[in-house]
Amino acid sequence: MTELVQNLIDALALGSLYALIALGVTVIYSVMDMMNFAHGEFIMLSAYALYVLAGLPFAVAVGGALVTGVLIAIAAERVAFRPVRKADMSAQLVTSLAVATILQNVVMAAVDARPKSVATPSVISESTQVGAISVPNLEFLTLGLTAVVLVALGWLLYRTRAGLAMRAAAENFEMARLLGVRADRVIALSFAVSGALAAVVGVLLVMQTGQVSPTMGLTPVLVGFVAVTIGGFGKMFGAVLGGLLLGIVSSFLGAYLPEGLAPFRDAIVFSLPVAILIFRPQGLLGAATGEARV
Amino acid sequence: MSGVRLRSRSSLGVSLLVPLALIALTMAVGANGTPSLRDTVTLILCNLIIVLGLQVFIGNSGVYSFGQLGFASAGAYTAALLTLPAAFAALQTPALPHPIASAQLDPLLAILAAAAACGLLAAVVGLPLMRTSTLAIPISTFAFLIVFYNVISNWDRMTGGSGGLVSIPRTTSIESAGLWAAAAVVTALAFKWSARGYRLQATREDEVAARSLGISVTGERLIAFALSGMLCGIGGALAAHQSGVLNPTTFYFGATVTTVTMMVVGGSRSVFGAVLGTIAVSTVNEVLRNVEGGAHFLGVVSIGRTPGLAAIGVGLILLATMIAMPDGLSGGRETGEFGRPRWLPGELRPRDPVVRIDRTGVAPIDRGAEPPPGTANGSGTDREALRAERISVAFGGLRVLRGVDLTLRRGEALGLIGPNGAGKTTLVNVLSGFLAPDGGTVNLDGIDVGGHSPARLARAGLSRTFQAALPFPHLSGLESVAVGAMGVGVGRRRAVAAAADVLERLGMREQAMLPAGSLPPASQRLLGVARAFATGPRYLLLDEPAAGLSETEGEQLVAILRDVLVDFGCGILLIEHEMSVVMSLCPRVQVIDDGVTLRIGSPAEVQADPAVVEAYLGSSYLAAANA
Repeated sequence: MTELVQNLIDALALGSLYALIALGVTVIYSVMDMMNFAHGEFIMLSAYALYVLAGLPFAVAVGGALVTGVLIAIAAERVAFRPVRKADMSAQLVTSLAVATILQNVVMAAVDARPKSVATPSVISESTQVGAISVPNLEFLTLGLTAVVLVALGWLLYRTRAGLAMRAAAENFEMARLLGVRADRVIALSFAVSGALAAVVGVLLVMQTGQVSPTMGLTPVLVGFVAVTIGGFGKMFGAVLGGLLLGIVSSFLGAYLPEGLAPFRDAIVFSLPVAILIFRPQGLLGAATGEARV
Repeated sequence: MSGVRLRSRSSLGVSLLVPLALIALTMAVGANGTPSLRDTVTLILCNLIIVLGLQVFIGNSGVYSFGQLGFASAGAYTAALLTLPAAFAALQTPALPHPIASAQLDPLLAILAAAAACGLLAAVVGLPLMRTSTLAIPISTFAFLIVFYNVISNWDRMTGGSGGLVSIPRTTSIESAGLWAAAAVVTALAFKWSARGYRLQATREDEVAARSLGISVTGERLIAFALSGMLCGIGGALAAHQSGVLNPTTFYFGATVTTVTMMVVGGSRSVFGAVLGTIAVSTVNEVLRNVEGGAHFLGVVSIGRTPGLAAIGVGLILLATMIAMPDGLSGGRETGEFGRPRWLPGELRPRDPVVRIDRTGVAPIDRGAEPPPGTANGSGTDREALRAERISVAFGGLRVLRGVDLTLRRGEALGLIGPNGAGKTTLVNVLSGFLAPDGGTVNLDGIDVGGHSPARLARAGLSRTFQAALPFPHLSGLESVAVGAMGVGVGRRRAVAAAADVLERLGMREQAMLPAGSLPPASQRLLGVARAFATGPRYLLLDEPAAGLSETEGEQLVAILRDVLVDFGCGILLIEHEMSVVMSLCPRVQVIDDGVTLRIGSPAEVQADPAVVEAYLGSSYLAAANA
């Protein structure tokens, strides 16, 4: 029983992390129908901010990571994605793949191809005893941060003028434009939000692994894509649900897979969307998108 | 049959020979260079085969797959394990089943085995993946790449794990790689220009229109996916036999980006582009890779060791191409397609009778003991009809159709009119299988066809057009129309003959060889109608064919339709809200308004009906007219 509760908390923490990744991918998709491969690199670069700012107080470094995530995202939009905004979604996807490749290898050339370790405050790696179970502080932090982020995002989307514009653009971009929503501003804002989400994930990943590497964004972006596919493209709630589901399944597989199969956990987890798509080609929630309409 | 061809012999020859000559040139450069250049060029030729594999699927379907390098990896491992000397196999892959470990096949056999294995693997993987949407396919194929990587990295005793394999026999020569590459070029071109290839290209150009022509989007994608997997497997197998070493990252994310870049830079719709892009990107890549280790330019600029430089270069090239030149170096054209087509097909003249489309190779809907289609002419028998009964459709709370009946007999022209929002298009969407009704039945020649897909209905003889022209912009007029016949299973040659016939009858000879995307709207509209005629329909639903055209253009279209209706002898449902158009074409008219049938009768009867006048002009007009 204790073990199950323990595993459940682990699973929820991982699921929250995945949900944050999926949200970052969805915020951009919902506004401009683009699946952003470079989201993993937004995460990676934010994490490298912690590495670069290692000498400073950790809170300052985290602030630096947030600023980095937001700025990189906005810059990528301005330089690479704006020129292909009118292209079809395949072209946009390939463009984001190019951006991801460039950012990843620039870090490789500028820093190193090998992982670098980053010191984090010791309190994060400690655990807190709650009754019979001991919960790593990082999991509390992850769950807490996710809750804060979800509330903040909800507030932004449903309580502010900018959020209203984002929701309108997500519903029908052209119509929103005609009604006076400024396209450039809404898209830039979406990228800023996505970059901030990426930074939160980057910081949490560094706390978890204690290191950064140029390719650390690859698995997260796949996680985000798969979660979004499961949840149904462009649905914020679906993204959270898909992320949670993927994280929970992954975590439980990690805990209960027999030893011989343990290395194949990722293979099993990423086969999950296929299993779901066989029965529900449109994802768990929402109508088919990416599917032509009459 | 006829001398009509999709392209001239010279265009065909140039399209085939130029890429082959490029390969020969590459081989010549490599063969006369240093041993290291030789090795480099051999690997470039192996990459070319993989890029051609990408082109077969991505170029023709317009859907990205990021999983094809997984098949290259599978091919490489298959060929490597089948040829690894037994002593090395025992050391590196102790768990490998004995027959494979001790196979030590002839390299050629190993490559053929790899091709077969990868084709099969791609078919199995593609079966579920191809059912998902255009957006989910890139993601789920990317997931496949990572799953495959994860499996081979961790299955140490079978694959050598993340350390990979060494001492693979190095049997791929520059000549064999070049020959395989040439064969891959021929395969890719043959596929692109086959009936299957055209059907797949039609789904790329416009998925909805393709489905209305009888094309199964999933099925066509799956076949190309398997062929693509096979080509990628061959490329991977040859590469493993070239370098002699192999590990899970050989064909992984980096190689995926590089090969996709090669395809995109060349222009993904073109086989020539794949060759051009591979050579161009490889050259840049090699130069940058030399610089990575540190280099001096003219003794002035010196660059230290910079890992990742080549990959940055590839990324920048890809980004620049997407922004500034999305059609790539080739512009998506084959070498025989540069310049304005001067050639017009020789025998574009009507024959008599109309080319009959019999759907060979397609399972028609079981019609019991009825006579085969196409034998009955004029007004059909009672069972020969498209019959809808009590159709109702609601979008949310809005009831668009409320129990509409409709009967379209073989050989008649029925007008369907009604004010905007009456439910005309919704009814056509139901009849053609694009929309499942909430209630009611649809019957085709006595068979209940409820729930049949649009493609299946088109193959059974029910075709439609759309309010928008939905052209296939990158296909020529002749190709666009021929796809209509190919869609219902007619072979390529006969499809082209049928298309030429239809185009001639519609007076579109001049537009036959031009890209559909370059034609004026009126021609595109007519091309849409021609495409539907080419499926050889027994029932044809025309949804406002004159919408968006000028009055003159509309009148010309009606005149053309009037002339050809008799020729094709199918039942036609003509939707218009312009009364005059319908009145001039249809002896029988059905009026619907607000989701119910108001009146069925001759044009004169309908026009005299006060309810109809009211629906169109409102009750106040009627009151004024009566006063």
